[in-house]
Amino acid sequence: MNSPQIINAPLLLIKGLSVSFETPLGRVKAAEDVCLEMQDGETLALVGETGCGKSVVAGAIMQLLPHNACVQGRAIFGGRDLLGLDEREMARIRGSEISIVFQNPSLALNPIMRVGEQIAEMLRVHKNISRNRSLRMAEDMLRRLGMVEKEKARMYPFQFSGGMNQRVMIATSMILSPRIIIADEPSKGLDGTLAREVMAEMASIKDQMGASLLLITHDLMLAKDVSDRMAVMYCGEIVEIGKSREIFSNPLHPYTIALLGCLPERGFQPIPGSSPSMINPPIGCKFHPRCQQCREKCRRKQKMTKVEGRREVPGKDECTDREVRCWLY
Amino acid sequence: MLAILKAQDVGKAYESGLIFKKQHIVLQGITLAVNEGKTLGLMGVSGSGKTTLGMMLAGLERPTSGRVLFAGKDLASMRGPEFLAFRRQVQMVFQDPEGSLNPRKSIEKSIHEVLSLLKIPPREWRDRTGEILETVGLSEELLCRYPAQISGGQCQRLALGRVLLLQPTVIILDEPTSALDISVQAQILNLLRDLQRDLGLAYLLISHQPEVIRFMAHETIILESERTLEEKAKRRWI
Repeated sequence: MNSPQIINAPLLLIKGLSVSFETPLGRVKAAEDVCLEMQDGETLALVGETGCGKSVVAGAIMQLLPHNACVQGRAIFGGRDLLGLDEREMARIRGSEISIVFQNPSLALNPIMRVGEQIAEMLRVHKNISRNRSLRMAEDMLRRLGMVEKEKARMYPFQFSGGMNQRVMIATSMILSPRIIIADEPSKGLDGTLAREVMAEMASIKDQMGASLLLITHDLMLAKDVSDRMAVMYCGEIVEIGKSREIFSNPLHPYTIALLGCLPERGFQPIPGSSPSMINPPIGCKFHPRCQQCREKCRRKQKMTKVEGRREVPGKDECTDREVRCWLY
Repeated sequence: MLAILKAQDVGKAYESGLIFKKQHIVLQGITLAVNEGKTLGLMGVSGSGKTTLGMMLAGLERPTSGRVLFAGKDLASMRGPEFLAFRRQVQMVFQDPEGSLNPRKSIEKSIHEVLSLLKIPPREWRDRTGEILETVGLSEELLCRYPAQISGGQCQRLALGRVLLLQPTVIILDEPTSALDISVQAQILNLLRDLQRDLGLAYLLISHQPEVIRFMAHETIILESERTLEEKAKRRWI
């Protein structure tokens, strides 16, 4: 008989999250029935193509979506449903408990405010720390992110490169030691080497703080290098979740297999067809019109199914929490 | 192998300052050749002058030193119709596909604009539009849409289709896939290879991604700040 598993309560539990937007062209179903959980100290990557709804999930958790968004479901954090909180409570959580690093640092930063001030502002607003002390703490945070010269904190965003601005964004998001950091395409606009350097610094500070990281990216190799677990999203739905290494070594969902086939080391094999419209998505499995293994059944909706993963440690069966949304399993 | 487009000891410098003029050398002593029906990869770190070199080869910028030759003829000596003919033969596809298209023109109008400039009779526009959409793998349903209503990959296909209408011999591809997802990148790169095979196009592919260059290029040039440091056959380099 198997011994009972002790399951820790997840730090963040997203249950049945659906987001749609009313637009003049129709109702865009940006996220449908998204279920995720994040453990303490874990790095979870949410991967998928542009427009598949990754950032919408982050925006919904943080209540940062525009007014035409219709959000359903739950996002439980610290015993409270984030989606039910009012703006005042949410403002307290944003930055201090859950922070977000946006994808375009040059747009997210105030162009007429010194970067040190922008980081220090978080400390003054949330913790009521004096101006001088908060500026010193901001300089210290920038130093930890590799910007050692003191005068860097007195510079403006336009005096920095994209990579340096991204570090400022990371410093701003981490200065209050949040429990969850959401990094929305932190590598966008940075070249490969710089992206990895920035992510390595971020991961090291995150580990020191004991925070969890939700990494939203379309860079599969970055997700593989940095994350513990990975959730693959297609057209607003999560199609596969599992340990990152396992998903790379043994992808199960036909979309995951096709997506990994596009990687340079796997020969740039294109996925046939194009991503469907989010207004009139295909009925049933949304990938079925492009799937090589499509069957009649695939026109019916499938739920996430637990699949036993591969054995990781020799001689020891390990439950791998692999879940797939496909009729093949 | 015939070199269709050549740069001979090309350099580019910009001046700044109103009173105390200061010269910034971007490129110096660059020599390269794009061969007919082949792909020359151009790699380099950000700011090494890859795009400036591409612009000079496309005739969009003038070099401050050296010469650019197309089919053996110096660009600087070309005038009027001859230069226009060169501009049709050597086309450029840019990094940001959405930015290359007029946001206020529908896809159909964007294509018709090129056909009208080519002085193609309007009665042929429909057929020519259909042909080019088929070549780049786009559906006719998209014709009434605007650039903001189609995906980045579709925009890049359209930008490529507009270029192909001019029946060029050389296409300068400036980071054509760096703004695209990995799945769309794979589609565009495969499409470019198919077009090269079918139409005998020559490419100058500018990229900072070694894997893209490895997949596409027959030869590679590496630019380092200010000058070319090495030129090696692709296999030897990678």
